[in-house]
Amino acid sequence: MRLTVNGTEHEVVAPPLTTLLAVLREELFVTSPKAGCQQGGCGACTVLVDGEPRRACLIPLAAVEGAAIATVEGLGEADELSGVQAAFHEHYAAQCGFCTSGFMMAAQALVDRGDAVAREDVIEALNGHLCRCTGYVKIVDAVTAAVTQNAGSPA
Amino acid sequence: MKAVGARLPRYDGIAHVTGRTQYVDDVRVHGTLWCKALRSPHHSALILSIDTTKARAVPGVHAIVTHEDVPHNVYGHLEGLGVPADEPLLAEGDVRWKGQPIAAVAAVSEEVAQAAVDAIEVVYEEREPILDIRTAADPDAGEHFHQWGPIYPHFGPHNHRRVRKGDVEAAFDAADLIVEGVYRPQAIEHCPLETQVSLVVPEPSGRLTIYSCTQAMYFSMGVVAAHLEWPLNKLKFVGGTVGGGFGGKVDTATETICALLAIQAHRPVKWRFTREEEFLTSSTRAPWHIEIRDAVTSDGWILGRRMLTLHDAGGYARFSPYGLTKHAFHHTGAYTIPNLRFDGFVLFTNRVPTTAMRGFGVTSVSLATELHLSRVAEQLGIDPLELRLKNANRVGDTTGNRVVMHDPSTVPVTLAAAEAVGYELGEDYRAMTSERRGGDLLPEHLVAQQAPDGEHLATYRAATTNGGAS
Repeated sequence: MRLTVNGTEHEVVAPPLTTLLAVLREELFVTSPKAGCQQGGCGACTVLVDGEPRRACLIPLAAVEGAAIATVEGLGEADELSGVQAAFHEHYAAQCGFCTSGFMMAAQALVDRGDAVAREDVIEALNGHLCRCTGYVKIVDAVTAAVTQNAGSPA
Repeated sequence: MKAVGARLPRYDGIAHVTGRTQYVDDVRVHGTLWCKALRSPHHSALILSIDTTKARAVPGVHAIVTHEDVPHNVYGHLEGLGVPADEPLLAEGDVRWKGQPIAAVAAVSEEVAQAAVDAIEVVYEEREPILDIRTAADPDAGEHFHQWGPIYPHFGPHNHRRVRKGDVEAAFDAADLIVEGVYRPQAIEHCPLETQVSLVVPEPSGRLTIYSCTQAMYFSMGVVAAHLEWPLNKLKFVGGTVGGGFGGKVDTATETICALLAIQAHRPVKWRFTREEEFLTSSTRAPWHIEIRDAVTSDGWILGRRMLTLHDAGGYARFSPYGLTKHAFHHTGAYTIPNLRFDGFVLFTNRVPTTAMRGFGVTSVSLATELHLSRVAEQLGIDPLELRLKNANRVGDTTGNRVVMHDPSTVPVTLAAAEAVGYELGEDYRAMTSERRGGDLLPEHLVAQQAPDGEHLATYRAATTNGGAS
C-alpha cells in the first residue's frame, strides 16, 4: 500500500489492519507520534491525514491508503522552526514533551485554516489532548499566539 | 545568578518541538523482542504451581522467566537503610496484590508474547483479601498474608513512627475546646503520558545496555544489579529522558525483568506497559487515614496535638516507611505546637504497592493539617488566616523534631497570599513578621519551647558550614 508521509511517498508492507501509528513508528521510523494510550484517549499520536487531525492509533492502514500524512518531522528544522514549533518553544509549551507532537499537529490544523480564532476556540480545538505536566495554560498560550500570528500575516 | 528572572530556552526544547527527542520507545535496535507479563488475577492467593510448558511451545517465544530465574528475587527498596527486604521481583509462593507479576515472556511480537502468557498455567488457592487499612490490624482479621504481619515493624525499636514532645496530657486538660477531624486522602495514579517502558540490549562485551524511563538512574541501576547479583560496571544505563514521571518512575518497574529475559534470549527485549497496565498495576500514591485532635484555647492558640496516621503500603513496603517518616516530620504543618503525640503506622493491604509521588507523605499531612486548622477556626469563630498567623512558626521556635527555626516563611507567605487574593486582615496581623516571639505572641505555653535568643543562628551556622563537622 502507498502512503505519503511529509511529502515522501512510501510503499508500505504492513498488513492492511495495522494501525497508522504502528506503520509510522515501527515501519517508517517516524517516531514523533507517541503511543500514549493506544485507545484514542490521549491525543499523543495525532497526525494530519489529508490536512485533518486524526488519532493514528485508531486508524487502520487500509483506511488511509494513498493519503498524505503530516507529522511534526515535516514542520520545520531545528534552525528553521515553523510558526507552531517556534510558538511552542517560546511559550514553554513543551515540558516532558511526550504529548507535544500531538498538540502541535492539532495546532497546525488550526493554523492551516487561516482564521483568526478566540482563545476559547483554541481550547475547543485542543479538546481531548491530554498533558500531565503543564496544566495547559502555556499550551493554549502557544497555540493562540501561533494562530493569531498566522491570521495577521499576508497569505 | 544569570538564570534568575531570565527567559532561558529549555535545554531540550528544540528537540521536543521538532519531534527529535528520543524517548525509550523511540529507540530502535534490530532484533528486539517484546515482553509481556503474567499478572495475578487475585488480590491475595497462594500459588500452588506454575507450569510454563505450553507457553514455551508457542512459536516465536524466546525466553520465559519466573522466580526460579531471578538470582536474588526478594529485594527491598530500603535495604540500604537497614530495612529487611520483603518484595519478590516475580511472585514466589503467593501473590499479594491483583496485578503482581508472576512470570514474563519475551517473544517476537506483543501478540505472540501475550499468547504465551495466556498459555502459562498457574494453580491458585485464593485468600480473603485485606483492602481497608482501618481494619487491617484488627485482632479478628485472621492470619495475615505478610511475613511481618499487618504492621510494618522496622521503625527502630518501634512498630510505628512516633513523635513525643512536651506534656500533651496537660495541654488537653488546659484546653477550652478539643477539635477533632478525620482526613482520608485517597490513592492517585501518576498517569504519565509515557507509560513504564524499558529496552535492554545484551552487548557482545557481556554487559547490558539499559534504556530506561526511570526518574532515578542510579537507584534503578542498583536495583537491577542487586536482583542480577551483577557488579554495577556491567550495566550501562541510558536515561534522562522521561515522558512524565511524577514519582511513579522512581520504581524500577520493567528494567530488571527485561534484563533477565535479554540475558536468557541473547536478544534485546523491550517492555512497554499498556495504558490499562499502567492504571491497574503501576504503583500509586498511597491512601491515608489521618485523625487529628487539637487542644485549643478560645482565643485561638493551639496548645497540643494528638495525631494518628495510617498509611496504606499495599502489598509490600517499598518507600512507604520513608513517606511516613516525612509525614511525621511535618505533622504540625507550618505552625508551632509545643505539646505533641504523633503515632503513624504503615499497614499492609492487598492493594497495589504505593510509592513516591510529588512530596509523598507531606502532601497528605499538609492537606489534613490545613483542613484541620480551618476547622479549628470555624469552631472557634476566628478568622482562619489570623489563626494561622498567630500560631505560625517564628525565629527561635522549635519544631516537633527539635529543629530550631532560623528563617521560617509562614508569616510572609501567608501575608503575601492574603494580599494576592485581596483577603482582608486586621492591622495587627498585616504588620506581623517572622521575628522572635515576644509580648502577646509569647503566651505561657510557648515559652518553654522557644530556644534561647541567638541559638537559631548557631544552629543555622552548624547546618550550613562545616563548622559542625570534625
